[in-house]
Amino acid sequence: MNTREQILTDIRTALQRDSQSPIQPLSASARVASRVPGDAAAEMQMLFNEITKLGGVARHVPASELTRALEQLVQEQQIRRATCWNTPELAALDVPARLMQLGVQLVAPHADSRALAECDLGVTGVDLALPETGTLVLRSSADKPRAVSLLPRVHLALLSPAALCADLDAVFEQVKGEGYWVFITGPSRTADIELTVTIGVHGPKALYVWNIER
Amino acid sequence: MHIPERIDFSVNVQNVSPQIPHSVRRATTRFLGTRQVVVDVLGNERWQALRQAGHAIRLHTLEHLDYYLTRLEERVEAAGGIVHWARDAAEARRIVLDLTRARGVRRAVKVKSMATEEIGLNHTLQENGIAVVETDLGEFIIQLAGVGPSHIIVPAVHLTKEGIADLFTQKLGVPAPPDPLQLCALARTRLREEFLAADVGISGANFLVAETGTLVIVTNEGNGRMCTTLPPLHIAVVGIDKVVPDLNALNVLLKLLPRSATGQKMSAYTSFITGPRRTPQEGGPQEFHLILLDNGRTRILSDPLLRQTLLCIRCGVCLNVCPVYNHVGGHAYGFVYSGPIGAMLSTQLLGVRTAADLPFASSLCGACAEYCPVKIPIPEILLRLRRRVVEGDRIENAVAPLTLRASARVGAITLRLPWLYAIGTRILAFLQKPWQRDGWLTHLPPPLQRWTMVRPLPAFGANFRAWFRRRPK
Repeated sequence: MNTREQILTDIRTALQRDSQSPIQPLSASARVASRVPGDAAAEMQMLFNEITKLGGVARHVPASELTRALEQLVQEQQIRRATCWNTPELAALDVPARLMQLGVQLVAPHADSRALAECDLGVTGVDLALPETGTLVLRSSADKPRAVSLLPRVHLALLSPAALCADLDAVFEQVKGEGYWVFITGPSRTADIELTVTIGVHGPKALYVWNIER
Repeated sequence: MHIPERIDFSVNVQNVSPQIPHSVRRATTRFLGTRQVVVDVLGNERWQALRQAGHAIRLHTLEHLDYYLTRLEERVEAAGGIVHWARDAAEARRIVLDLTRARGVRRAVKVKSMATEEIGLNHTLQENGIAVVETDLGEFIIQLAGVGPSHIIVPAVHLTKEGIADLFTQKLGVPAPPDPLQLCALARTRLREEFLAADVGISGANFLVAETGTLVIVTNEGNGRMCTTLPPLHIAVVGIDKVVPDLNALNVLLKLLPRSATGQKMSAYTSFITGPRRTPQEGGPQEFHLILLDNGRTRILSDPLLRQTLLCIRCGVCLNVCPVYNHVGGHAYGFVYSGPIGAMLSTQLLGVRTAADLPFASSLCGACAEYCPVKIPIPEILLRLRRRVVEGDRIENAVAPLTLRASARVGAITLRLPWLYAIGTRILAFLQKPWQRDGWLTHLPPPLQRWTMVRPLPAFGANFRAWFRRRPK
């Protein structure tokens, strides 16, 4: 008997089951009701509040003022090199072109890790968001490489109100079946040394979340 | 991890340095404070409903563990991952070693994982010429210090910033000031290079979702994402108890875990990984291996009370509220798991011969059970384990399930047929003679000997029918 069979047999013996034993349904107490969302503005405000509490910077940016906001960010964080998701949403906002106009060097999002690690800024969209916890959900695909939100020093996430979900179940409903997704809740942090909260351990040191208003 | 022949809790306690209770309590008080804030935001009613749901989900999963594990295996493999099964620590270490050797791995980065601590993986890899670096800041620190974790969530809780600065200066060869921010920056630079150069990322998992074959890793620093995104190979070593049925169940447990562990509504990063990358452009490992680790867990399943030990989601809140843990810190427990969960789990994983002291390392005050997010009846389990320490491990399965079932069947037939019953009692009274001592049966032959190891059986004596016929009318 191989290890797999042996472990399964041991489990079945311990539980007095066999491979044909029926699966009892989960009891009703295993379900909890989903959170009831407030109106759209209140939900967005809640998301902003949570992100701010965690040390992120969240704000509304009218599409017309995007260049100015980017300029401010580039100055504030001394951005010289950036990488950006290759999605239609970000392309429609002209993010790469605007950054280049500001003198920022652009690195392809699927460049190798060392090149991405040298970027000061990674720009991504936000696929889904959870206001209650201040969480951004980012998917992974050829146009949305995973490292863009991970390796650069600063992470800028551009959001649209349609991304907001009331609760986790709504998020899971949408991402189920995909190979990878990640929840990002504030910038990278630790409290491992004398419980002093320190921002920016291995992931980005700063997180900016902009709700682009059209 | 080196496991002593016998964990002597009282000796360990005497070796606890005087600043430990101070730094431990500071940490646990902080965690409990932030936990209370996020629990209050949810409201007690919703929190209690979540705990009840968490308990029901975990128990249901354990009761159908074979089903959910095979389902998980099927889903992981459908996603292009490879599943391995390991009976014990040695087998798990061998699988990791074989995988890394076959691919010429020189450098490994690790995500904080209790399962890999439990099997002592780092030591084996290093012995075989593979450089292993722990990348969680706390684990990185204790790896430099050469000790095991003293808390499930903050493994370096026993060290001060001055101590850590000395350690960094000594081991990293750079002047390190006793300032958390600068120490952190030092570790970031040092580990960034490790992430980029590593040939393999090794992780555990917080949960495995059977429905989708998804591995869930909860971290704050981002090291979990680094280890599972950058190296071309990802190996996860996960206890078979970590499986949950589906994403609906995960929803509940993800609400309980960060709130109970660190008082966060959600940890900074939660990664959901199903198999290797699907396109080369998105990044991520080309190969994904999942090692399902038994290492004594199936043994724990057989007793319905003790089974509940495996409900644990490793949040560490039972350590934080435990008056004993707060006094002595994690190292006194002598194994990777400390506090009340250590007292329960280590005793069962290592056996009562090794860990006889641990079930007694508790005042049974019950605070842990009040706080446990999945409602493990910790004091009852500790009491059961105390009894086992006194009576010995052999009380396990006093009568083997097969024997029990066979005798129940024989009993049922006999009781249905009065004549057979009458003959049977006579035969038994005769058969027992060689083993009878002063009206007791103290040593029965196999397969019944397991019963008499634990307690003697009164000899069959009086014959009710005979007495009934003769009774005065």
